[in-house]
Amino acid sequence: MNLIDVYIQEVTRRLPEKNREDIALELRSTIEDMLPDRYSEQDVQSVLQKMGNPVSLASGYRDQPMHLIGPRYFDVYVSLLKMILPIAAVVAFISVIAEYISGVNGEEAIINVILDIIGFGIWRILEVAIQTFFWLTVVFAILERVDKDKDNQPLSTALTKWTPDDLKNITYIPKKKAISKFEVFFGLLWTSIWAALYFYANQLIGIYEGGEDGLTLVAPVFNQEILLQYWPLAAALLAFELALTLYKFIKGQWTKRLAIVNAIYELTATVILSIILLTPNILTPEFADYKTGFEHLDTWLIPMVIIIFAVFAVSNGIDGFRKARSTVKS
Amino acid sequence: MGTLLNSLTTELRRGTLTLAVLSQLRTPQYGYSLVQLLENSSITIDQSTLYPLLRRLEKQGLVTSSWDTSEGRPRKYYVLSEFGLEIFTQLKEEWLKNSRELYELLKGEEDE
Repeated sequence: MNLIDVYIQEVTRRLPEKNREDIALELRSTIEDMLPDRYSEQDVQSVLQKMGNPVSLASGYRDQPMHLIGPRYFDVYVSLLKMILPIAAVVAFISVIAEYISGVNGEEAIINVILDIIGFGIWRILEVAIQTFFWLTVVFAILERVDKDKDNQPLSTALTKWTPDDLKNITYIPKKKAISKFEVFFGLLWTSIWAALYFYANQLIGIYEGGEDGLTLVAPVFNQEILLQYWPLAAALLAFELALTLYKFIKGQWTKRLAIVNAIYELTATVILSIILLTPNILTPEFADYKTGFEHLDTWLIPMVIIIFAVFAVSNGIDGFRKARSTVKS
Repeated sequence: MGTLLNSLTTELRRGTLTLAVLSQLRTPQYGYSLVQLLENSSITIDQSTLYPLLRRLEKQGLVTSSWDTSEGRPRKYYVLSEFGLEIFTQLKEEWLKNSRELYELLKGEEDE
């Protein structure tokens, strides 16, 4: 086996077809130049040692980079990933929920459906995340190879060169007044949870007993008919809360106006909760009869729930003003 | 310590390689003869860097190449183009200016 032939093949097979012959010819003549007239395999080895690794020689000949995504695109790539992945995950999860809700026939216990949704939701989120990651990476790997600009400066998200003007599009947010994405996310999560609990209270909230076919609801706590009398109030609160969360998301920081709206929201929520819970016969007879001692539950449990809720509402309201004010100082 | 110094030295040299190669191409040279010329001036160049560099210079229009098959072994000769000569002269000026400035800077350091 001729080491020189193998070496040349190892270089040229990594190169575009049209250059192969010329480069092969030049390499062979160079290698032969370096060898003495009568050479041994030892000589060949030492010459090839000098020529270096065929991979790096080939990569020198090619204009293409030896990395998937270089410094020019890396920052944009990472920012886009951070932006797109959560959105894709949320959309995937919502689509799973929508699929299940349209398929529910009312016979299964809602708790089992919820467990199903969570399980499938996690699976779907993983699937979508991997797909998103893959395709975004492919797009950037291609961009990296198509872009002939040899400038190594990182690009801004608009795929242009950085100028000081870019700073004008960024709002300066001190840490204390910032509203994190998590806060927004958990806000939305909380809204969807209480909305589900409210509209499906007779299927969700109650005393569960383990049976042969999973958990079954034996005694719902709330009287659904009475509860649903207040649906316009609940819907209004839902809309208010969604609008508030969206407003927080857009603003990204606490302001005095946001704190005022937030306080109004907390007050409204407390009032509506009190109105609903203080309605006579809001608790079902099944629940009251479930165990002895449950009959008089409404006389102390309901006021206690309202008081706890009110305490949290006041503290949240004040917290909003505190965060908004800390911005004014700095 | 040693490897860090090595990589810094390589980095320092890398920029000057193009200039060194261009300076030797006022007369036509083939790959190996160029290596020998540079080595005679005790400039060591990685072979896996040199050959791709020659191709790149050709692509940029700084050198032209031609195959000589009159001798037993075909050889590819490279020589500076007119444009290449112009660029080389300017690059040389730039280098001399830079090294003078750096020399002054380093000398000042020693005097202190």
